[in-house]
Amino acid sequence: MEDSQNSAPDALEATKLNNSGQRTETQSVTKRLQAELMQLMLSPSPGISAFPDGDGNLLSWTATITGPTETPYENLNLKLSFSFPNTYPYSAPTVLFKTPIYHPNVDFSGRICLDILKDKWSAVYNVQTVLLSLQSLLGEPNNASPLNAQAAELWDNDQEEFKRQVLARHLDLDDE
Amino acid sequence: MSSSTNMNALSQAEMERFQKLSNEFEPDVQGPLVSTKQSSHTIALDYANADPTLAAKTNDLAVTHPTTRIMKGDGNCGWRAVAFGYFETMFNNRDPIRLQEELIRFKTLNSYLDQVGHQEHLYEIFADATEEIFAQTAQAIQNGDRDESFLVNAFNEEYSSNAVITHFRLLTSAWMKLNPDRYQAYLTMPLDQYCGTRIEPVRSEIDEVGLQALVDGVINPSQFGVEILYLDRSEGEHVTPHQISDKCPIHATIRLLYRPDSGHYDILYRAEPTVNMTPMVNLQYDMTSNLEAWDQGALNFDVSSHLMSIPNLMADPGFGMGTPMSPMAPSVSPTPASPFRMSPPQEIYQSPMQSHVPSHPQSHASIPSIPVASPPPQVMPSAAPPPMTTLPSRSSDGPQIRLNPLVMKPNLSRSLPVTTPFKK
Repeated sequence: MEDSQNSAPDALEATKLNNSGQRTETQSVTKRLQAELMQLMLSPSPGISAFPDGDGNLLSWTATITGPTETPYENLNLKLSFSFPNTYPYSAPTVLFKTPIYHPNVDFSGRICLDILKDKWSAVYNVQTVLLSLQSLLGEPNNASPLNAQAAELWDNDQEEFKRQVLARHLDLDDE
Repeated sequence: MSSSTNMNALSQAEMERFQKLSNEFEPDVQGPLVSTKQSSHTIALDYANADPTLAAKTNDLAVTHPTTRIMKGDGNCGWRAVAFGYFETMFNNRDPIRLQEELIRFKTLNSYLDQVGHQEHLYEIFADATEEIFAQTAQAIQNGDRDESFLVNAFNEEYSSNAVITHFRLLTSAWMKLNPDRYQAYLTMPLDQYCGTRIEPVRSEIDEVGLQALVDGVINPSQFGVEILYLDRSEGEHVTPHQISDKCPIHATIRLLYRPDSGHYDILYRAEPTVNMTPMVNLQYDMTSNLEAWDQGALNFDVSSHLMSIPNLMADPGFGMGTPMSPMAPSVSPTPASPFRMSPPQEIYQSPMQSHVPSHPQSHASIPSIPVASPPPQVMPSAAPPPMTTLPSRSSDGPQIRLNPLVMKPNLSRSLPVTTPFKK
């Protein structure tokens, strides 16, 4: 009798603590992403934009980068999806190209090979820095570790053909 | 290793044997982020069947440093060990004012982050987490909690643990960028690239340069020492300690065990008597020297009323006059070389410690062997010899005069200087 009286509030307490722990984590992701969104709106960078998807879920965003001038991607609009884990910013978001893109470091499903999205991820990186890094990756592919070997080879040896492949692969996505 | 050619097959095999022996230890990737304190014998067990040098060293370690705290080997272990060690040392220090000073210092450190271009909206959640640990530590000290389980819990909570470690990483990186000349020579790549690939990324192991920068930029101003004990295969039976803080630690030392083969860090605690570091005892030592170097037994001296009431231990007559005397030899009459004349009994200096004790000059007169070098009491200033006028107010400071315990060593008995009057 005594035991049950004592254990019940303890168990309740433990549940409460657990919940508040999880709440803190979710709140911290939300707070961080809201701060990033605010920053992107207050001081936008040229050629990049990002906004949460319209379903009230702050953990998935759609972003757009414009291909830098004097690259094969000049004036192309490229859409990407951001999916943030609950452990963000201590884990990198999953970033995919939604627009079909021909690039040495992107595979045909839109997966990206970029160190800062993997083992070099730092908790101060953010949507803006990722988009700026991807923008510069368009003009300076890392051909040492290509996901698309043919693209890497063409980039090095035949820029004309490379550009033809880029334009052939590109397909503007409609705004949803 | 298997992909290499067998040109050096023999030495390669030898290397692999050693590697295997010393790599018996694998950092725990399953356990808690920070373990509770446990016996260092567990470390010795890790190496019981390994390289004999490491087995001997870890056995010795279990004697000199009987307790340890194991860090999870998830890439953050070195960072976590220093951050946890820092807060645990602050907690054990139990000084709310110092804690407050350190909190303010950490808030000031955030200006480094601004200076190297970090945006507050990105780093504030990390800085907030550090402040939260400070608040918990202050609360625990105020509550009189004796055990540090609140810190263990905080550092085992992924969210606050990650945030605090990230904060320490960013502060270290910013410190390096603001002091590039200090570190660039030790790096094999440009400093900015080093910070971006070795310091800032989550779960990147701390290396020696990073650890030095963390201690230089974040820990050193706390005046905590940081000592790394290297468990390497060098000659000898002891792990090799390296003090990496740049000045004598005044308050305490954070000790880490480093295993070069796995790049792993854990916390170590030395075998030492528990010293009650209350500020009252501590303040005087702060002004003089490193507490740890002192004879712990001597600590009792200046709080012992028995010792303090011996008049000639209290006030060295040579003080302020450049002429050391030997007050420790009460049975010996003053030598002819003494600058002091034999005083009549009524001029015998009355110890300030005894001023509250009923005492008559006549009682002293019956003890002719008492040294007479002491200054006369202030009630008879006209009878004082000229040099005594340099000490007009000392007797009124009376019980506040304290002896430096260091000089109580036998070989220093010839001269017994006293410290300056200790006033609160």
